[in-house]
Amino acid sequence: MVVVAGQELRDLWLGGRGLVLSFALSLLLSVISYLVATNRALNFLEQRESVNLTLQVAIAVGALLALLTAADAVSGERERGTLESLLVTPVSRLEISLGKLLAALSLWAAAFVITVPYVWFLARGVGLVGNAIAVGLVVGTLLAIFLASFGFLISVFAASNRVSLSLSLLVLLALFVPTQLPSSAQQGWASDLLLRLNPMTAGEHYVGKIVTNGHAWSQDISWLVSPLIAAALFAATALVAGARFTRLRGGASG
Amino acid sequence: MSSARLALLIGLLLAFAPAAQAGLSVSNDRTAIATKLGHKFVFHSTIRNDSTAPAGGLVAHLNVVDLSGHTYVDPEDWSSHRTRYLAPIPAGGSTTLPWPMNAVNSGTIGVYVAVLPRSGAPVPPTTGPTLRVRIQDRKTLNSGGILPLALGLPALLGLMALGVRFRRAR
Repeated sequence: MVVVAGQELRDLWLGGRGLVLSFALSLLLSVISYLVATNRALNFLEQRESVNLTLQVAIAVGALLALLTAADAVSGERERGTLESLLVTPVSRLEISLGKLLAALSLWAAAFVITVPYVWFLARGVGLVGNAIAVGLVVGTLLAIFLASFGFLISVFAASNRVSLSLSLLVLLALFVPTQLPSSAQQGWASDLLLRLNPMTAGEHYVGKIVTNGHAWSQDISWLVSPLIAAALFAATALVAGARFTRLRGGASG
Repeated sequence: MSSARLALLIGLLLAFAPAAQAGLSVSNDRTAIATKLGHKFVFHSTIRNDSTAPAGGLVAHLNVVDLSGHTYVDPEDWSSHRTRYLAPIPAGGSTTLPWPMNAVNSGTIGVYVAVLPRSGAPVPPTTGPTLRVRIQDRKTLNSGGILPLALGLPALLGLMALGVRFRRAR
């Protein structure tokens, strides 16, 4: 597993793709931080709100990067014709799957490291730095594990890399849709249930409660249930599926 | 209709029309404010009860209106505490309220305070004079010193990505 993870990490980071994605993320965070810092200077945004906004974008984009990398993990190798040589190496398919998942998650780790200076800059002075970074790490890691595992799962079964990437993106967008609903549409038990069941909305809601509202970690802990379950469930399923169903040909006929 | 009858009718209408609370007046500690976009400012309004009876159950409300005619104003952005429930004001007494505000848009806005009873027969609110607030536009380029971070980190990562690419090309 260490060998596979090491190879995948080298491909990702020394191949340049990881750094280019990190560069893109840092550009995005710079623009957002600049805008919220300007707005804060003009008193449009409360300091906590600006930290929350930046942190939520970092979590969402960091998890997206992990998802896209994982969605390319098997179907991409299949299309590039490199999966066969990987499968004949004396490494179990479970180890291959775990190594690829870890490599995909390294993008989230890098995204988090890149986010820290921005959060520190925006949160300093209100005693929020430690809490914001900690809750960002916990929630972001859970969501990244969930999304990377989901992307990997799709990648194992997808007939082509294009199908894998587009299906992963489609599901990610669908998970984000509830965050765009007007607040009037987010009232009532059904809406509350939907927000709690959706790991993305539940995780981002929890971050907002800690960062913006200053709640204690235990106060809204129930919102962490679905990200936790989704991360554990999808990681286990992805590893099992990767170990049993990684084939040279994808899709139903594979 | 004779002029005498008309005068009588007007007198009766005035007598029975609901009146603003008798003896109540609102004044501000200034008539105009000049500030800059993004700055905070405070003004004080004094609600005076010149009647012979205490005035209770009053609520004071801060109103914000654009006077330039081309700026959207959301009063909530300008002040987060626009409604105050007042303690009873004794006869001949007064109470002074501070109104902290944020200058959210450039331009000229009018601010006034209205005082009305929380219950009883509906009467027109007692309003104070309009405070004219002139807000000068302001540009911020390096808010709080964000520029070094906003430019430095992407530059560093961009250089690293270029370095890796250059090394691979060789």
